[in-house]
Amino acid sequence: MLGFVLPLLAQVQIREAGSGATTCEGKNDAFCPGFVIDNINDYVSPFLEHIVLVLASVLAGFVVAMVLAIVSHGRRWLIPVFIGTTGVLYTIPSIALFLLLLPITGRGTVTALIALSLYNLQIIYRNANAGLANVPDAAKDAGRGMGMTDRQLLWQVEIPLAVPEIIAGIRIATVSTVAIATLAIFAGAGGLGEILYNEGIQRDVFKTNIVFGSVLAVALAISFDGLLVLAQRFIAPWRKVRAL
Amino acid sequence: MTKRYRGADTDAVSDLSLEVLAGEICVLVGPSGCGKTTAMRMVNRTVEITSGDIEIGGTSVTARPPAQLRREMGYVIQQIGLFPHRTIAENIATVPLLLGWSRERTAARVAELLELISLPADVADRYPAQLSGGQQQRVGVARALAADPPVMLMDEPFGAIDPINRERIQNEFLRLQAEIRKTVLFVTHDIDEAIKMGDRIAVLREGGHLAQYATPAELLMAPADDFVEDFVGADRALKRLALMRVSDIDLWEAPLAFAGQDTAEVRAKLEGAEVPWALLVDGERKPLGWLSERDLAAVRVPQRPDISPDPLLDRDGVLRDALSDLLQSQTHYAPVVDARGATVGILSLAVISDFLASEEAKVEEHPPTERPLG
Repeated sequence: MLGFVLPLLAQVQIREAGSGATTCEGKNDAFCPGFVIDNINDYVSPFLEHIVLVLASVLAGFVVAMVLAIVSHGRRWLIPVFIGTTGVLYTIPSIALFLLLLPITGRGTVTALIALSLYNLQIIYRNANAGLANVPDAAKDAGRGMGMTDRQLLWQVEIPLAVPEIIAGIRIATVSTVAIATLAIFAGAGGLGEILYNEGIQRDVFKTNIVFGSVLAVALAISFDGLLVLAQRFIAPWRKVRAL
Repeated sequence: MTKRYRGADTDAVSDLSLEVLAGEICVLVGPSGCGKTTAMRMVNRTVEITSGDIEIGGTSVTARPPAQLRREMGYVIQQIGLFPHRTIAENIATVPLLLGWSRERTAARVAELLELISLPADVADRYPAQLSGGQQQRVGVARALAADPPVMLMDEPFGAIDPINRERIQNEFLRLQAEIRKTVLFVTHDIDEAIKMGDRIAVLREGGHLAQYATPAELLMAPADDFVEDFVGADRALKRLALMRVSDIDLWEAPLAFAGQDTAEVRAKLEGAEVPWALLVDGERKPLGWLSERDLAAVRVPQRPDISPDPLLDRDGVLRDALSDLLQSQTHYAPVVDARGATVGILSLAVISDFLASEEAKVEEHPPTERPLG
């Protein structure tokens, strides 16, 4: 397995960390703001790649999870099947999953997206499922009793009432994907992993990049979460929520 | 009609047959598990009928798809079931929207209904969680009335509301019903509520067997069997009184006395009167008080009597409340006054018990024959 990983790592862009032992980056101090400012352009594309990875995989996971949730809504026996399947996928370690997918989808963004989406699938499906199950019986009874068809009940009552739980799932999925997507580098898909693992694995850990990469990841996670909270306030104003 | 659930040994509702008259409130009442809710749910087919049929205005409920049928029936449940994610206005507009009403027509109807249930117009944009339980159930009723359905199904609609608000909302609904005259099927386990709300009451026993179908007064006067008698309660005489007003019964004539009158005259009047006391009244026959032996020992009737006339009973008051006042009074007699305060007669415990006894006898002699029986 290691023999398979190393060639991957060899593709990672290696950045000059500094030339002498006198500079901040040369001494590999905890954080060198000057280095970051000088090389700020080098951080832009990994950061953007990371955003794309997170957004695309959460979106894909959400769409598939909702389809599964709606399919299993009227067929309750499917729920344990779906939870089991997505659960098993969720337990596969991400690097292993990248490697498993490599022979099929090759190196690159597609592989990373498939793996990340599969993780999101489990989280969002479970939440969507719980959301639909938690719709108050009284609301369903009233809806049916007033003449809603099953489909009207689903789209006008059950799904809207499940929105807070679905968004809660998306929030968890998004935040954890921001973290997991740093490993997309091992599938050759770039992202913040490019900054974090730059040189670090082969040589000494370059602390400035570790710190700055982490800060970017945390900032991204908090921003996405905040946006999702805003989205929920807009979509489900009847339910109060708090940000991270 | 009959309902038997799959796997059950006995029918949940067995051969129940009822005729509900248009514009009336028919109450299904019985202990838990008697099948009253199941019976009601068969009407809108949220529970399917095993055998038999239900007709509304001569058309079977099975003639149309359930969803369509239900849009023409108001549906109110104990848990209220407002949609938490929709505003009050949107909740009320549920059925109109399902029926494809225009935006203007729907908005106008919502405004009209909010006024009908006496909620301020500014609740329209609030969410159900922002309203009290009583207000929520008013909205539940408004929502059921939105498309002006001829039939209303109400399953313990006021069961989850605190006693004070329940009383209020019951009265509101009765006032509303007097205006809108819906045909209402009303389920409750509370016999007092049944008596209060029902034009007719169907008492069900376990297995959905109809024990008796009668007006509240008939039910209280002549329970069909021990089960009904038991269910109606040992205080059924009091419950009957709750259905009547003081003016509904024959009062005793009041031995009236006026200030300055010769007491001999008054004493003569008392001879053979049903009331052993004379009532001093003013020029407008308003009661001033009872005359005591000492008062009558004088030559002239005094200006101020010894004994206060209280309690004064309103002739339009509920008989049961009047009885309660009587029991607390010193004399067990009380003057009954009209709206202007003038004495119209005397109510006593004896009057009430005589009345109850005579009515009881009358009903046993002539049982109501025109009961639509099942």
